[in-house]
Amino acid sequence: MVRASHLKSASSAAREQIVGCTAPLRARWWIVPLLGLFSYPGLRETGNGFPSFWLALPAGCIFLYNGLFLLWFRRSGERLIEDADCRKRFIFFQAVFDTAALSALCLLTGGTASPFIIVFAVPIVWFTTALNARMAFTLLALIVGALIGIAFIEKTGWVLPQGLNGGRSAFQIFTAIALPVAAFVAIVFFGTFIKGIAHREIDACDRRLESEERVNQRLQSLLSSLQAIGSARKLEEVLHTVTSEFARVMQVKGVSVKLLSDDGAGLHYAAAFGLPDNFTDEKIVEVVKSPLNKRILDGEPFVTGQVTEGELFQFGEALSSAYIRSVLFLPLHLKSRVIGILGAYAEEANRFNQEDVDFFGLASRMVAIALENARAYGAIKKLNDERIRFMLRVTHNLRAPLAAMLSILEVTRGGYLGPLNSSQAEYLRRLDRRARTMLAMVNELMTLSKRRSHEGIDLDGATDPVALARRVRRTFQDEAAGKNILFNLSLAENLAPIRGSLEVIEQLLENLISNALKYTPAGGKVTVNLKPGAGMAVIEVSDTGIGIPPAEKSKLFTEFFRASNAKSVEEIGTGLGLAIVKEIVDGLGGRILVESEEKMGSVFVIYLPLARAGPEPDAAAG
Amino acid sequence: MDKKAVILLVDDDPDILDSYRIILESHGFEVRTAKTGKEAALLLKAHRPDVMILDIMMTTDTEGFDLAYRLKEDPDYRNLPIILLTAFLEKVRREGPGEFEYILGEQWPADWLFEKPVDGPRLIARIESIIEGR
Repeated sequence: MVRASHLKSASSAAREQIVGCTAPLRARWWIVPLLGLFSYPGLRETGNGFPSFWLALPAGCIFLYNGLFLLWFRRSGERLIEDADCRKRFIFFQAVFDTAALSALCLLTGGTASPFIIVFAVPIVWFTTALNARMAFTLLALIVGALIGIAFIEKTGWVLPQGLNGGRSAFQIFTAIALPVAAFVAIVFFGTFIKGIAHREIDACDRRLESEERVNQRLQSLLSSLQAIGSARKLEEVLHTVTSEFARVMQVKGVSVKLLSDDGAGLHYAAAFGLPDNFTDEKIVEVVKSPLNKRILDGEPFVTGQVTEGELFQFGEALSSAYIRSVLFLPLHLKSRVIGILGAYAEEANRFNQEDVDFFGLASRMVAIALENARAYGAIKKLNDERIRFMLRVTHNLRAPLAAMLSILEVTRGGYLGPLNSSQAEYLRRLDRRARTMLAMVNELMTLSKRRSHEGIDLDGATDPVALARRVRRTFQDEAAGKNILFNLSLAENLAPIRGSLEVIEQLLENLISNALKYTPAGGKVTVNLKPGAGMAVIEVSDTGIGIPPAEKSKLFTEFFRASNAKSVEEIGTGLGLAIVKEIVDGLGGRILVESEEKMGSVFVIYLPLARAGPEPDAAAG
Repeated sequence: MDKKAVILLVDDDPDILDSYRIILESHGFEVRTAKTGKEAALLLKAHRPDVMILDIMMTTDTEGFDLAYRLKEDPDYRNLPIILLTAFLEKVRREGPGEFEYILGEQWPADWLFEKPVDGPRLIARIESIIEGR
């Protein structure tokens, strides 16, 4: 049974065709009333109209076969949905029956003089548009044959109604059907011709559309490859992503990247995707010995759809075992240099056309840039790592003698080597201060240099404000009490985790609080508030200390800067604490504000982003 | 206490050795010194100290650690109290009281770590508490 649901699953073209072959089924029911309508006035007027019985006969036959067709459709109509040939045959047979019925009708209503001859045009137009040329011409032949048949039968005298035609001559009969026949032939020829043109146009459009869709798809793939390549940092990652993504986009078996050595004499396989395992076996291809590679490096793409053994040898013997038939090699251009060769390998012969070469050319430019970026990134990272190692060594080598100096001073100042007079004691005290300042500076320089290299900032971490508060309180409670300073730390409820690792944010707070404690006289107050604000975490450190002279506020976060009023309070000071604070805040993507009044106190307010649920983008970019 | 407690002091810096030897001896401890891990091992065999103060970075970056780990694995010396010294405090967890003294966790081959320059009185207080504790 054919249901509406079946029709919905069919394509729209199929649906149209189904309607095309079933609409007539419905239309034919109207024949009888129409015939009746047609004959009735005739009957009324001439009293002689078409004999109703003879009209009823063909009408009845039409009813009958229409019913049969309808029955068949109800039973096995599903076939029409999938099978285009079935549809055509269905139409064909309907047309055959229609032709027969119509011919009979014409015979019964005046032969070649019948007004119903023109009605043939209806099925003709129908099957011309619905069927292919062969079936259309077959039916046309049938109809023309039928008309000729009618003409002959008329000549022999047997048409109805008698008396209407009064024995026309052969010539009259001939002319009576010649025009309709000519018209029908013209309709079918013209119709199939136009159909042919239309189909060719549609096919051409389809092909263009297909090719544009392919280009579109490739561009999409190219975009996603770009994103994949762009997010990979290390050279090996970039190479692997490049080769696998392009193999996917181009739908080829393998993609390889050969890189030129710095002296330009050798090519080595940096990556090969989809090719035999031993392919990238540390092989260096000497350019001088490989004219094909040399030509490519000179800028000439190499494409072949039937790669020969000799050519394969130049590109790598292992290829022949991989059944590679087509290869495409392009130079990787970067600005004015060629840095290597990008290759695509396919198992099918003649796989690569101009479109492929063009697309791959686009891709190769992208690859060259990605590779250079990865190399530059690697070089920078290496430099950075070397610098950090150097800084560590420097720091250690500076600390050791300082520690020794201070130990010696402790022995001397402690009287272990004998009593000191007051001037000796005073001068040694000064020596001790300077040495301790230097030591503190060494420590803080180390911290600052790490922050500056972005090695230290871990944006993937999250800090629990509760843990932070606990540790900070523990660190400073005793010191504050010892200096008789009231130390208060308040934490807002349900404060969300802050972005950044605990060590980093703790150091930030410690620098601020230790500053506050250092520059607040006894009996003063240092308050720390952790609270939310403006979608971020807000850390407020306020004190009732010496404050910051307004003219010096702008220089506050500069390295080694110490405000003029600071030195009188505390001799030891590196001037690096706030520089470190600023580095951390900047690295975490936050903001810092300072409010201060001399002799009244200062407030440092820091805004820090909250930790997010998903992974953070690479911090090195920041 | 009749018997003086013996401290073995190991550091490649002669200024450190001299300074702390003077401070410790003036507090009544007997002090033996060594400049390398090898020397220290010999001195350990000769006479077992009550406390060993061991610098971490000497001729190699981890010489002190290496020695401390070896001692921990040796059943004869497993219980020897070791105080580590370093001029180079990188990633040590802050768990102890005070600014420059750290109480280490289980995976360390020693129980205490002091950062140089060491505060004399603090060091002595720690040593005394170790000795009393036994």
